[in-house]
Amino acid sequence: MDNLEAKTVNENTGNSEYIIELRNITKVFPGIIANDHINLQLRKGEIHALLGENGAGKSTLMSILFGLYQPEEGEILKNGKVVQINDPNDANALGIGMVHQHFKLVEVFTVLENIILGVETTKNGFLSLGEAKKKVMKLSENYGLNIDPDALVENITVGMQQRTEILKMLYRDNEILIFDEPTAVLTPQEIEELMSIMKGLAAEGKSILFISHKLNEIMEVADRCSVLRKGKYIGTVNIKDTTKEELSNMMVGRDVKFVVDKEPAKPGETVLSIHDMCVYDHIHKKDAVHNVSLDVRAGEIVCIAGIDGNGQSEFVFGLTGLEPISSGKVELLIDGKMEDITHKSIRFKNTHGLSHIPEDRHKHGLVLDYSLEENMVLQRYFEPEFQQNGFIKFNDIRTYSEKLIDEFDVRSGQGAITRARSMSGGNQQKAIIAREIDRKHNILIAVQPTRGLDVGAIEFIHKEIVAKRDEGRAVLLISLELDEVMNLSDRILVMYEGEIVGELDPKKTDIQELGLYMAGAKRQGKEG
Amino acid sequence: MEKKSFLEKESTRQIIASLLCILGGIVVGFLVLVLLSVFTKNISFGEAVRGILIILGGPFSSGKNAMFQLGNMIFNATPLIFTGLSVAIAFKTGLFNIGAPGQYLMGAMTSLLVALSIPSSVLPPVIIWILALLAGALAGAVWGAIPGFFKAVLNVNEVIICIMTNWIAANVVSWVFNGSKFINYAETKINFIVKTETNNIATATLGLDRLFSGGSVKSYIDISIFIGILVAIGLNIMMNKTVFGYELKACGFNKNASKYAGMNERRNIILAMAIAGALAAAGAALWCLNGHQDFKWDTYQTLPADGFNGIVVALLGANNPIGVVFSSLFLKYINVGGSNLAANTSFNEYVSQLIIAMIVYFSGFAQYITLMMRSRKKKEK
Repeated sequence: MDNLEAKTVNENTGNSEYIIELRNITKVFPGIIANDHINLQLRKGEIHALLGENGAGKSTLMSILFGLYQPEEGEILKNGKVVQINDPNDANALGIGMVHQHFKLVEVFTVLENIILGVETTKNGFLSLGEAKKKVMKLSENYGLNIDPDALVENITVGMQQRTEILKMLYRDNEILIFDEPTAVLTPQEIEELMSIMKGLAAEGKSILFISHKLNEIMEVADRCSVLRKGKYIGTVNIKDTTKEELSNMMVGRDVKFVVDKEPAKPGETVLSIHDMCVYDHIHKKDAVHNVSLDVRAGEIVCIAGIDGNGQSEFVFGLTGLEPISSGKVELLIDGKMEDITHKSIRFKNTHGLSHIPEDRHKHGLVLDYSLEENMVLQRYFEPEFQQNGFIKFNDIRTYSEKLIDEFDVRSGQGAITRARSMSGGNQQKAIIAREIDRKHNILIAVQPTRGLDVGAIEFIHKEIVAKRDEGRAVLLISLELDEVMNLSDRILVMYEGEIVGELDPKKTDIQELGLYMAGAKRQGKEG
Repeated sequence: MEKKSFLEKESTRQIIASLLCILGGIVVGFLVLVLLSVFTKNISFGEAVRGILIILGGPFSSGKNAMFQLGNMIFNATPLIFTGLSVAIAFKTGLFNIGAPGQYLMGAMTSLLVALSIPSSVLPPVIIWILALLAGALAGAVWGAIPGFFKAVLNVNEVIICIMTNWIAANVVSWVFNGSKFINYAETKINFIVKTETNNIATATLGLDRLFSGGSVKSYIDISIFIGILVAIGLNIMMNKTVFGYELKACGFNKNASKYAGMNERRNIILAMAIAGALAAAGAALWCLNGHQDFKWDTYQTLPADGFNGIVVALLGANNPIGVVFSSLFLKYINVGGSNLAANTSFNEYVSQLIIAMIVYFSGFAQYITLMMRSRKKKEK
């Protein structure tokens, strides 16, 4: 009964080495224990990582600390005193601030207006922005948070939006800062920057809870790390005494391989051939994709690397037919010979060997109000296997989806009949991947296929993609994750400002060189 | 797969939500009657109680006329079922068909023109009847496809085009009939079109009109109600069991994902609006082809209420075709109760219209209550 003892000590002394302590937190949702007697201790001035798979209970735990949920059992202590947190206002009053994964900013307000929103300083009923601005600028200098206070949020980069969120917490004098998967939306450079900001904050005495499932980042920035698995507390380790392998083992419950096992590629005939493709961007009045030419052969994984927003999305839209292309030609291997599919319908491409894992799973990948099984046949419902005389064969759809759900370990509340909307992001992604990998295809276009997935799931998806390659499929991977690019691909093409600026061999290059190409600092000639 | 309990089913929730709305409307309607009885000298509290009971009794509060009123109520519910189905199908495809009144008018006009232009000496009446119904539905389909086309091809909001086509239809109808030989000069009611029974065209009644009668006066009931129910069942199957319904709903839920999946979302939008138009028009045609109805042709300043009420019954029926049948019958039921209130108590017809409006107004909350129940369920989790 360590806990009881600790409690007595704390109450007697009235202060604790921990600024925040969660004790025996239990939160039950019908059919699932989201948090099962979880303990977490945050020291003053430390960066404490909270690691766990998708659905391990990290978000639930942080929601409890932030006052969004009430636990069934357990207590929260601040500086050794039990506190009651009923809603986010209570949390704020206790100095707890949170940067949500999806920012809570008013797009049409300036950075400054967003920061002071809710705690405005007024003089005779009028906003006195001058003083607020001075305070914000001072904070921004102290912590190295570079912002433009007068820019509208809709016009600034994601990185600056995040710094705005951080300043919001600092402006409110929060001392406990929760970062909920802060790096998911950032480019590699912005991640570097955020890491140093976090270290700076901790050095200034702020205590940080850092939710993540990216082990590299945790290893780089955190002091200690607590691990959750399936709602249970697994343990807390000092980062300097541990390794990535140990952390992932704690998180998943088994050893995870970070390097994908794969034989050298044995490329066959060309499956997809793109000639001088251009996609016009009507908003910015220029080519989003400019004269891109590339070939993908059977049995190889070609990866398009690049920093987000360099035309990758538009390239895929043009290739798959979601957006029209302004010039160029796309050829696909159909029944043994190359056929021009530039102006063919999406349905034609879908049924003639093109599978597409889309970038945005909510916008394109799923009909969220359809059940999981209805989503599993989104491109196949009209095939004889699933329909007869115009009537859908629901029984066959059920059998087929249950097979996929089983093979790909898609977890959901009610199995095949679960609304896609109610599933977790990771499982939604797994459902799409299952659907696209299982469909008959010659080329698989995978856009950030492992976005939002934990290492266990990523390992599985990577294995599946390599297996498809070894079966002789061609894979075109579009990824922002450098690890994924280096690990999975047989050939790397770097896209910068809508153009392919280099072709690299993953075995002969390193992340530094790749980064130079991605940032536009280096490029190969046309013949390269 | 886990079986959901009765109370957790989405359909049960929607039925409960609709019933709660009706109850809310009735309570508020009753309060209005009570307030009126308090502030009006010659109306007692007892009168208010009697009033709400009369409304709730619908046709049955008319005593010996109950069967007659019930027959007319069922007959009048049929066009409403059709406009309700029209709105509901469009809703399921993500479109707001506020053009049902215009489609209704085009259907009425076309079916009347066909039914009155072909003499029954040339073709058997039943053939003319079928031709008239089909022509009416076709006209509605074309009229509905217009906003669908603009939405699909030019991405113009369908509501705007629907409202425009409504008024165009209202004027087209007046223009076509103005001074035509179809106006009923014989009965000196020159605002109306000749009844189709003058050309021996009338929907079969199978003796229902004698069954639903008040003494020797037969009601208007005919087999159109069965056609309405069959169409509702057919649409329910279409939306839930067929490839076509799967596509329509997918387009309604998520246009982008439908495009990604290779569905032709433009074609689906136009088709959905055409079907919606055909439905609203078929309802109008069935009403006209009853044979005993006076169609008011100078419509240029008014749009048929049944067209707009289609929106109400679609919402109250949770956009489910079977639900629409019930909500339409209910609306007409309350309507009959309203007229009985004006006829038998000191409350005037405006009050009865007000109460009906209250109930209709509350029915708009049906979707909201379903959402509330869903979120409460979530919170409990």
